[in-house]
Amino acid sequence: MGEPLQGIPASLVAVDLREGAVELKVDPTLYPLDAVYGASFTFIDRCFVFLDRDGERIRVTLSAKDRTVGEDVLHALIGEFANELLACAWRAKITETNRATIEAVTMQAIGGAMGPPSLDELEDFDFSEEPFEDPLGIAQSWEDKYGKKGESAPADAKPKPTESDET
Amino acid sequence: MRELRFDKTLYEGTQVDAALEVFGRYGTFERAEEADAWIVRIESGSKARERRLAGEIGNYALGLTMKSRRGASS
Amino acid sequence: MSARVDLLSMGPPGELHHDHAAPFRMRRLPGGKILLTSLAGRWAVLTPDEFARFTRNELDEPLKQRLADANLLRDHFDVPAEAKMFRARRAFVGAGPNLHILVVTLRCNTTCVYCHASRANMDAVHTDMSPDTATECVDFVLKSTNPAITIEFQGGEPLVAFDTMKHVVATAHERNARLGKELEFTLVSNLSLMDEEKLAWLIENRVQICTSLDGPPDLHDAIRKLPKAYGASGHDLAVQWTRRINQRYRELGLDETLYNVEALVTTTRGLLPRWKELVDTYVGLGCRALFLRPLDPFGFADKTSGRIDYPGDAYLDYYRAAVDYMIELNKQGVEILERYAAIFLTKILHGVDPNFLDIRQPAGAGIGQLAYNYDGTIFTCDEGRMLHEMGDDTFRLGHVSTSAYRDIVGHDTVRALVIAGQLQGQPDCVDCTYQPYCGIPPVHSHKTQGTLLGRMRESTLCQVHKGIQDYLFEKLGSGDPETLAILDRWTTHRPREHFVHAPRWE
Repeated sequence: MGEPLQGIPASLVAVDLREGAVELKVDPTLYPLDAVYGASFTFIDRCFVFLDRDGERIRVTLSAKDRTVGEDVLHALIGEFANELLACAWRAKITETNRATIEAVTMQAIGGAMGPPSLDELEDFDFSEEPFEDPLGIAQSWEDKYGKKGESAPADAKPKPTESDET
Repeated sequence: MRELRFDKTLYEGTQVDAALEVFGRYGTFERAEEADAWIVRIESGSKARERRLAGEIGNYALGLTMKSRRGASS
Repeated sequence: MSARVDLLSMGPPGELHHDHAAPFRMRRLPGGKILLTSLAGRWAVLTPDEFARFTRNELDEPLKQRLADANLLRDHFDVPAEAKMFRARRAFVGAGPNLHILVVTLRCNTTCVYCHASRANMDAVHTDMSPDTATECVDFVLKSTNPAITIEFQGGEPLVAFDTMKHVVATAHERNARLGKELEFTLVSNLSLMDEEKLAWLIENRVQICTSLDGPPDLHDAIRKLPKAYGASGHDLAVQWTRRINQRYRELGLDETLYNVEALVTTTRGLLPRWKELVDTYVGLGCRALFLRPLDPFGFADKTSGRIDYPGDAYLDYYRAAVDYMIELNKQGVEILERYAAIFLTKILHGVDPNFLDIRQPAGAGIGQLAYNYDGTIFTCDEGRMLHEMGDDTFRLGHVSTSAYRDIVGHDTVRALVIAGQLQGQPDCVDCTYQPYCGIPPVHSHKTQGTLLGRMRESTLCQVHKGIQDYLFEKLGSGDPETLAILDRWTTHRPREHFVHAPRWE
C-alpha cells in the first residue's frame, strides 16, 4: 500500500486500489485502543478491518468487501472512520465524566421495565455458577459447624468446608 | 497463499485460534509465531477466495478480542 | 449564520468574567440573538449586547433577574430546582413499555413509494397473524410493568386482518379483567377498506383511528398508489372516511376539538414547495394537528430515496414556511398546531417530557415500546421490525411463544439502546444547547451511520431537530405576545379519555 489519497496527508493515509483497501495510521497517545476497537467495530459490516502496529502507531486497514470499489469510496470510508474514531475517543471521556447519571438512568429504565422477578423465575434462577464464598462458615448451621448437641466439638473447631471450597 | 499478521498487543491468540476454527472448513491454514505476532498463512483455491477468507477471519478475531477484553475490564 | 458564538468579539479577553456564571450552554440563533440553557433546560434568549454584558458581569437588575430565573447565575443557583427538573424530564423512566405495536398482517392494498413497513401483496396470506399468535401477543403485552397499555394495530393494512384486530381487543379485555390495566387501542390505516360495519365496531369498541395524508390529492396518489379497482383514489377515500368518522364522533356528543381522526404526513420531495396546500388540506379536513414528519430511511424509502428524499436544510425551509403559515392561521382564529413544535415546546416551556418515544432520552425502544411481527417475533420498536424486513436482525429480541418478558426488556440490545439514547454520553450532544429537550432514536443512527451511538454532526435527524428548535427559540425570543400565546396553547395536553378503557375487574 503506498498511494496517497487526495486531500489527506500521505503520512496518515495510503490507498491500494488493486486490493480495494485503505489504511490510516493512528497515534495511540491521542486515540486510546478502546476507541480504535470501537470505531473498527462499526465498519465490519462493510469492510474487512485489520489492525497492526507500525512503530509507535496503530495501522488500521479497511479492505472493502467489494474489491472493485473506486478511490472515492475508499476516501469516504477512511474519512468516516476518522470521524468515528474521534467520536469514540471523545465519547469514552464524556461517558466517564457522566457515568453516574447514565448508570442511574439506565438502571431505572431497565429495572422499571423488567419489574420484580416472579416466584417461578426466582425458583428457576441458577445460583450455581457463582459459588458463595463463605470462609468463616457463616451460612453453615451451628450443627454443621460444631457438630450436634451433645457431641463434643474439638478444641480447634473450624468451620466445615463449604460446597464451594470443594469445587 | 495469503498471510495475515495479528499483533499480540492488539489481538488475543485464543481468539485468533477460535476464528480459525470457525472458518477451518473453507481453507487450510499454516500458523507461525513471531516475538510480537501470530502469523497465519491461508490457502483457499483462488486469490479472491483467500482475500475474502482472510477478511472474515480478521473481522471475527477482532470481534472476539474486543468482546473478550470488554468482559475482562468490566 | 454559524451557531457558534465568538466570545472574542464580545470584548478583549481580559474583560471576560466567568466566576458569576453557573454552567451553561450557548448557541447563536438564526436572527442573531444568543440562547443560553442551564444544565436541566431552563433558558434565556439574550441580545448580543445583553450577552456581552453577561460575559463582563455588567448586569443591571432586570437582566440579572432573568438570568437568575433561568438558573444561569452561580450566586443564585438553585440545586434542588435543577435536580427536580432533571428528574421531571425523565419521569417516564421506570414505567415499562406502554406502546405495543402489533403488525396483524403485512398485506396491503396500497403501494407507497417510501413504504417503511415493507408491505406484502394482497395474496400473501402467510403474512397474516394467526389467532393463536395474536392471543400470545396479548398475553405478552399485558406482562408489561406499565399500568397503561396502548395496543397499536399496524401493517401492512390492518383492516385486511380485521378479524384479528377484533380477536385482540376481545382477548385483551378478557385477560385484563384480572390485571386491571388501563387499555387503549389505536388503528393506523389508509381507510380504503373501511365500511360502515367495521366503523360501527371501531366506534363501539372505542378504537382510535389514525390515517396517512401525504399532501394534496395528486401528490398523495402519486406517492401512495391504490389500484383503480377501488373506484376512488386513495386520497379521496382517506378524506371521505376521515369526514365520516369525525361525523360519528360528533353524533356521539364528543368534543370535536379533541376527537377527530389523527392524520399523519410523511414529507416527500414533491411536497416541499407545497407546504401551503398541505396545511390548507389538513385545515379543510377539520384536523387540529399536523405532524410535519420527514422521510425515514427504513423500508422501500431506502431504495427510492433518490426520487423522494431531500437535504436537511430543504426540509427546514419547508418546516419554517409551513409553521409560519400555521401561526398566521391561528392568529386568524384557526386552531391548527404542528406536532413536532408541540413536543419540543412542552419540554422548553414546561420543563416536563410529553413522552414522545422518538424524541426523549433514553428513547423508547424496548423500554417504552415493543413491536410484534405477524409471526410473533418481538422487536425493540417498529423501526427495528422494519429493519428485519430489510435483512437486519439487530433489533430482534425474541418470540412471544418462547421468550420470557423480563428477558425481552432486559435484553442486551435493549440495554445498549438505553445507554446509546442518553445524550450526556454523546459527543456534540453533551455540549449542545438543546440537549435537555432533544432525543435521537439509536435505531436511526444504526441505519444511517452504522452505529447505535451515531455521529450527530453528520446526522440529518440531528440537523432537523436543531433547526426546528432554532426556529422555535427564535419565535420565543421575539417577544411577540400573540405568537407566544399561540405556542403556549400548542403545549396544552388534553387526554382523550373516551378512548381509555378503564379496568373491567372480574
